[in-house]
Amino acid sequence: MSWAVTGMGAVAGVGGDVDELFHNLCAGRSGVAELRGFDHALHTAHHAYEVDNRPAPGVDVTRRATGLLLDAVGQAVRDAGLDESDLSGVPVLVGTGLRELRSVELWRTQGAEFPAAELHFGTALREAFQADDTHTLSNACSAGLYALALGVDLLAQGADTVVVAGVDVLTETMYGLLERVQPVPPTRVRPFDRDRDGVLMGEGAAAVVLSRVPGGRPVHGLVRDVAVNCDAFHVTAPDPAGIAEAIREAHSRGGVKPADIDLLMVHGTGTLLNDEAEATALADVFGPDRDKPLVTATKSMTGHTSGASGLLNLVVTLRCLAEGRVPPTVGLDDPVDEAEGFRFVTGEAAHRPLTVAQLNAFGFGGINAVAILEAAR
Amino acid sequence: MTVVVSGVGVVLPRARSAPELMAPVAEAPPVEPKDLVGRKGLRYKDRATQLAYCAADAALRHAGLLDDGGLRVPGGSIAVVASSNYGNLDTICRAIDTIAEQTAAAGSAMDLPNASSNVIASSVAIRFGLRGPNLMLCNGATSGLDAVHWAATLIRGGRASRALVLGVEPDNESVRAFTGGARTIDGAAALVVESGESAAERGASASAVLGDYVRGAGLGRTLERLARTAGDRPALWHLPEQRAAAVPDTLLEGVDRHDLAEVFGLGSGALGVLQCAAAVGWFAQGGAGPVYATAGTDADDASAGLALHGRAGA
Repeated sequence: MSWAVTGMGAVAGVGGDVDELFHNLCAGRSGVAELRGFDHALHTAHHAYEVDNRPAPGVDVTRRATGLLLDAVGQAVRDAGLDESDLSGVPVLVGTGLRELRSVELWRTQGAEFPAAELHFGTALREAFQADDTHTLSNACSAGLYALALGVDLLAQGADTVVVAGVDVLTETMYGLLERVQPVPPTRVRPFDRDRDGVLMGEGAAAVVLSRVPGGRPVHGLVRDVAVNCDAFHVTAPDPAGIAEAIREAHSRGGVKPADIDLLMVHGTGTLLNDEAEATALADVFGPDRDKPLVTATKSMTGHTSGASGLLNLVVTLRCLAEGRVPPTVGLDDPVDEAEGFRFVTGEAAHRPLTVAQLNAFGFGGINAVAILEAAR
Repeated sequence: MTVVVSGVGVVLPRARSAPELMAPVAEAPPVEPKDLVGRKGLRYKDRATQLAYCAADAALRHAGLLDDGGLRVPGGSIAVVASSNYGNLDTICRAIDTIAEQTAAAGSAMDLPNASSNVIASSVAIRFGLRGPNLMLCNGATSGLDAVHWAATLIRGGRASRALVLGVEPDNESVRAFTGGARTIDGAAALVVESGESAAERGASASAVLGDYVRGAGLGRTLERLARTAGDRPALWHLPEQRAAAVPDTLLEGVDRHDLAEVFGLGSGALGVLQCAAAVGWFAQGGAGPVYATAGTDADDASAGLALHGRAGA
C-alpha cells in the first residue's frame, strides 16, 4: 500500500516555498548567515541558518515557529485543493523538537506576553484553519518523520486525508547548550566531511497532505511506509544498531531491498557522533549495494532544522524523484572512512532517473524514523 | 482489535493507586522519587522525568511486564507514549537565565538532552529498555487522552504489542510563574495498554477496555459524538479542567461527575491519563461502565473524549 502526497508546502532559510527551496538547493546555495536572533556577546558560535523574517536585526519576537508552520500548512492545503478555511475533522499532525519554547524564553527574559495555550500549535491551527484534530508531537529531530508514520497509520486505519507538518525555530537554550558540547564553534554544517566541526541550527517548516484517494489531484509522489523505533541507548548519542534496525524495518514495510534504493536522503547533521553512526548503519544494511544509490544531505544548506528537517527533506526528495535531479552536499570534500564507497553528490546537482528513495531522521534519545518514498508515474 | 488496560501506576502526593484517585488520602508530602525507585539514574534528570520513572516502574510491574530481573517481554514489543505540557519548562528557564546572566559558556552540558521536550519519553525508554516507537505529546489540554489514542493507534497499526502511556506534570517555580500561579499535580500516572490478544497470550488480566476516542471543537459536540459511537449512556463522567469556562449543567444531565483537578491540582497534559487510571480504579471497586474521560473545554482549541468499559463490558 502506498499513500499519495497531494499537497506540499515549505519555508526555510534558503527558500520560502517548495519551488524556491528546491531550486536553491540544487544550485548549491546555503542559508548560513551571521546569527540574527540572539545577542552575539552571549555566544561563542555566531552562525545559523535562520529564516530572515524578524522585524529588525537582533529583535526577536514570539510565535515565529507558529508563523512558519501556518505558512507551510497553508501552502500544502492550497496545493492539495482543500478548503483552507475549514480543516475541521482533518487530522493535522505537527512534529517539532522545540515547539514554542523560544516564546517561553522571550517571556522569561524580556517579559513578552505568551499564554500557555500557545505552547502547542493547536490553538493557532484552529484560528487559522478551523482545524480541531491537531496534534503537537515533540519528538526531537525525528519529529517530522514520526508524524509521517502516524499519518500513514491513520490512513491505513480509515482516514481519507491527513496533513503532516514539521516545524522549528532556534531556541537560545538549545543553541547555547550545543556550544557547550562542540569544541570549536562551527561556521557551517559539513555532513560526513573529515573536517566537520559540528552542527548549527536552522529554521523552517514543511507540510504535506496525504490522501487515501487523490481524487484526480496531481500527485507529487508516494509514501510507501515509515519505520519508527527507539535505540533505548543514550539521551544524546545515537546507536548504529538501532538505526540499522529502523532502516531494515523500513525496507521490509516498504517492500524494497537495498539495491532498489535510487536515492538516500540522509540525516547528516555534521556532528562527529551522528555522521559516524549513520554511515556505519547504512554500510551495515547496504553492504555491497552501498555504491548503488545517490546520497545527499541537505543540512549542508538548511542547517539542522530539528523537527522540520524530516519533512523538509521529504518535499525535497519528492522533487528529486519527480525531476531526476539531486542537490549536492555542500562542504563535503573529504568523506569520513565510514562513508567510503557511498556515492555522495558533491559539487553540482546530479541528474539521473530515480524511482525509490530512502529518507532518514534521528533524534535525541535514539528515536529513529526511516521513510521509503516512490516517484509518482 | 480490542485494546485493553493491563497495568496502572499512580504517583501523586495524595494517591498511590488507581482506587485512591477516586478516594484520595489526606494531605501528603510531595513525591520523593528516590524513595520509590532508588537514587540510581536520577541525577541530572528533571522533576518530570523522575516522576515518570516512578509511574512507569509501577505500571510495568502491575502489568507483569517487569520484575526485579528486568523486562519479561522483548523491549521492541513495547512503545512509549508520554504526555506533558510543562515537563521541561524548568530546564528552559534555568538555562536561559544562565545564558542571559553569564553567557552560554556558563551553561551545563548536562542540560542539553533536557532542553529537548521529548526527554521524558526517551529517558523512560532508556531506563527500562523499551525499544518500540517512542512518542512525546505536548498537545495542550487534550494531550493525555490524545496520548492514549496514539498508543492504541500504534498497537492497531502493528507497530507494537503494547504501549506504556505516561502523563506527568511537575510543580516548580517556573511552571507556576508561566501558568499564573496554578499548582500542578506534581505527579504522574501511567497505563500499560495492550491488544486483548497479547494480554490473553501472556495471561495478563485486563482492568479496563478502551472504547471510542473522539476529538473536535467544543465539549458539547464532542460528548454528542462520543455518545453516538459509544452507544450506552455513561455511568461516570470525568470532567475537563474548567478554567474560564464552566461545564454547563445541561451536558449529560444526571450523570455522576468527577473533577480530578479539584483534588489534585492542574493536570494539564497528564489529566487524560489520570482520568483513565481513575476509571480503572472505579471499575476495580465495582463500578459498571461506561466511563467517559474528557479533556478540553470550549475555552481550549479542542476537546477530546474517550469511553472506557469495565471487563464485563468488553
